[in-house]
Amino acid sequence: MGTYENDQGSSGATPRFLSRALFQSDHRVIGQRYLWLALGSVLAGMFLSLLMRLHVVWPDAQIPLVSLLLSRYGDPSEGYTALTLLHGSLMVFFVLTAAPQAGFGNYFLPLQIGARGLALPRLNLLSWWLTVASFVGVVASFFVSPAQGLSLWTASVALFCVGALLTSINFTVTALDFRTKGMTLPRLPLTVWAWSVNAILSMLIFSILLGACAFLLSDRFFGSHFFSPLALLSGQNGPVATKTVLSLWQRLFWFFAQSEVYVAILPCFGIVSHLLSTFARKPVWRERVAVLALCGVGVFGFCVWGQHMFTSGLNPWSPLIFSVLASSLGIPASVLVVSWFGTLWKAKLQLNTATLFALGFVALFISGGVSGIFLARRAGGGPASNDFVTGHFHLVMGVAATFALLAALFFWFPEMFGRRLHEPLGKWHFWLTFAGVNCVFLPMHWLGAMSRYGQPSGAGASVSLNGGVSALITTATLVTVAAQGLFIFNFFWTILRQQNCADRNPWLATTLEWNKPSTVDAGTADDAGVAVYRGAYEFRNVASGLDFAPQNVKQAPWEADASMNARDLHGSPQVNEPQKHQTT
Amino acid sequence: MPGSTFVEEIELILEDISGGGGGKHPPPDRDGGDDGSGRHRRPNPQANPSRRYATAIVLAMISIVMFFMGMVAAFIFLRSTNHNWVALRLPGIVWINTIVLIGSSAVIELARKRLGAGGTEQFRKLWTVATGLGLLFLAGQLVAWRELLTEGLHVWSTQAASFFYIFTALHGVHLTGGICALLYVGFRKFEFARVSRSAAAEVASYYWHFMDGLWIFLLLLLYLGK
Repeated sequence: MGTYENDQGSSGATPRFLSRALFQSDHRVIGQRYLWLALGSVLAGMFLSLLMRLHVVWPDAQIPLVSLLLSRYGDPSEGYTALTLLHGSLMVFFVLTAAPQAGFGNYFLPLQIGARGLALPRLNLLSWWLTVASFVGVVASFFVSPAQGLSLWTASVALFCVGALLTSINFTVTALDFRTKGMTLPRLPLTVWAWSVNAILSMLIFSILLGACAFLLSDRFFGSHFFSPLALLSGQNGPVATKTVLSLWQRLFWFFAQSEVYVAILPCFGIVSHLLSTFARKPVWRERVAVLALCGVGVFGFCVWGQHMFTSGLNPWSPLIFSVLASSLGIPASVLVVSWFGTLWKAKLQLNTATLFALGFVALFISGGVSGIFLARRAGGGPASNDFVTGHFHLVMGVAATFALLAALFFWFPEMFGRRLHEPLGKWHFWLTFAGVNCVFLPMHWLGAMSRYGQPSGAGASVSLNGGVSALITTATLVTVAAQGLFIFNFFWTILRQQNCADRNPWLATTLEWNKPSTVDAGTADDAGVAVYRGAYEFRNVASGLDFAPQNVKQAPWEADASMNARDLHGSPQVNEPQKHQTT
Repeated sequence: MPGSTFVEEIELILEDISGGGGGKHPPPDRDGGDDGSGRHRRPNPQANPSRRYATAIVLAMISIVMFFMGMVAAFIFLRSTNHNWVALRLPGIVWINTIVLIGSSAVIELARKRLGAGGTEQFRKLWTVATGLGLLFLAGQLVAWRELLTEGLHVWSTQAASFFYIFTALHGVHLTGGICALLYVGFRKFEFARVSRSAAAEVASYYWHFMDGLWIFLLLLLYLGK
């Protein structure tokens, strides 16, 4: 495969893996650590979900070690709730929030904008250790008594908030002030846009969660009265006071949680756009509009929250406004979907594992988004539609985001570890997982819809049907979890056994992380060593030779012979396009 | 202030859209900052290393505003739904504290003016005075707590008291960070630092004035919303 030679030549192995001390503040090391943490959390979280599925199908089954742990909770349903909480906090905080943003962002945001590192490396190290402390706290809270556990859990979440806030500030400063020469905003890769918009959004919402945690901790430790109905009791009757207090906590929490969904999914949007363009060998379709849509997701995501915050629950209009806003999020989201399809349109797509996972993300996101319209319309739904909500939420937020993460991992693995993951194994992993998650979460939609719309007269029939669907879900969960073994094997086998790949730019990508001169690695070039001359997605359909122009190359290959007539730049490539597609 | 080149780049994008050029095919007649010689050239970040701190502190302030606004929203919510709200009489000393804090902000500005004129010694004296005033404010807040406690108003007594204690405590925590920054600027040797003393003083002063304004806002909220 052809590639662009760097002036300085390759210097081979870099010392980046040698010094992994406690105070290593290199952004690549920290980014990788976040990813390791996410890998551990996702495995633990998956194991917990398996336990919960087993519990749903066989409530009386005793699993040796687990039943010992759960015996501390007097009520078995409380133990089940504790399992759910641990599963949720591991997955949401340490996988969905940390991996796409702090993990890949830490590693690739500075590289893609040509900066040496993050703006404030020591602050970044602090965020990392805060996240670790929070992880330890969240896990430990499961093993202490329930009352202590809740305090510990809240404190750990507060720590996570501080870590996330510091990371967000760091990312924003880096993206604003540390772009290399020529890296103007229009030339930023979409990944960087997504990370930056996401950083700003998380900066706003994690503050709110931190405030809510401060209230809760103050109530638990100092006996203040933010969430305690006692303060209201003397003047009002009990249930009303309890309801007011509950709604305050719910509101504060949902301010955060509503936008948290977008915090998890925004970087995935960026990653998927980036990957689809690279593997379709075409520029992102309507790149400018896609950037606007990314910003739009950020703004709308925040407004859903804001609307929720300032229209009190007593206002009868608030569900309507909330629902309109939640539906309006569909606009930037569909713009992005259209942009992905536009990029794929008539493209000679390279169907490797990374592409498959990116396409899987698009598919899951669309199917999840369609069910989301029903949820937004129904403005909350009742407890009867719990399964529907669970299915929708997991499909869009959990599984789709995980697919984007896997796509990113397959894509960036050569840059991070110097070798490529095994393609056939990766494809098996993809198809098994894709089939598995659809068998898990689509039937959940049916369950929810059945319990909501099913006729009471056919109750007996629906119970037996429900049982069958539940068993199907549990079986599919088992298969899906087992399929992850393929990935784990692939991952460790590649790291331990595979040979280094010699290619510095195996995907023929345009962005700086693949094309930087190797002296930047060795630390001899200064920050201004790389200059950028062009946009991030310059792919061209050419008959022969290289079909891409890295951002740091002054003259694209197709410009070399066409330079005598610069006006042809826009016209000439389209001429041979139809001929090419007839052959594919 | 940060952000000047950011605005420039927004202009560049607008130009780009109206010109229909798009990032992928820069029009050949315009340099667009390609090799750094165009008119939209970004300054080399190395040339102004303190810029990152100014940007970071502005972002941190936005974040802190959100943090307190969430709590203020809760205050307004509980204040309006609790029909049994017991008003809190603010201890008189908080008004004196406020004057002390405003005074410290003024002294900081005076100190920075002296530093700009080259008077490092005078700067250090004034800066120490400002730091002392900050510590005095914190001590005053503790006195206010004592006053309330002797009246028998604990954090668990009423909701209004809960809010007073948590607002003052959290503002105090943030202000302690500011005092650390002031001490750092005042006593660090800047001869070998990448950042000049005046730049560090500027960043610290942003934060300090912000803490000042935040306190006035919280105090008015507690006073008017009692």
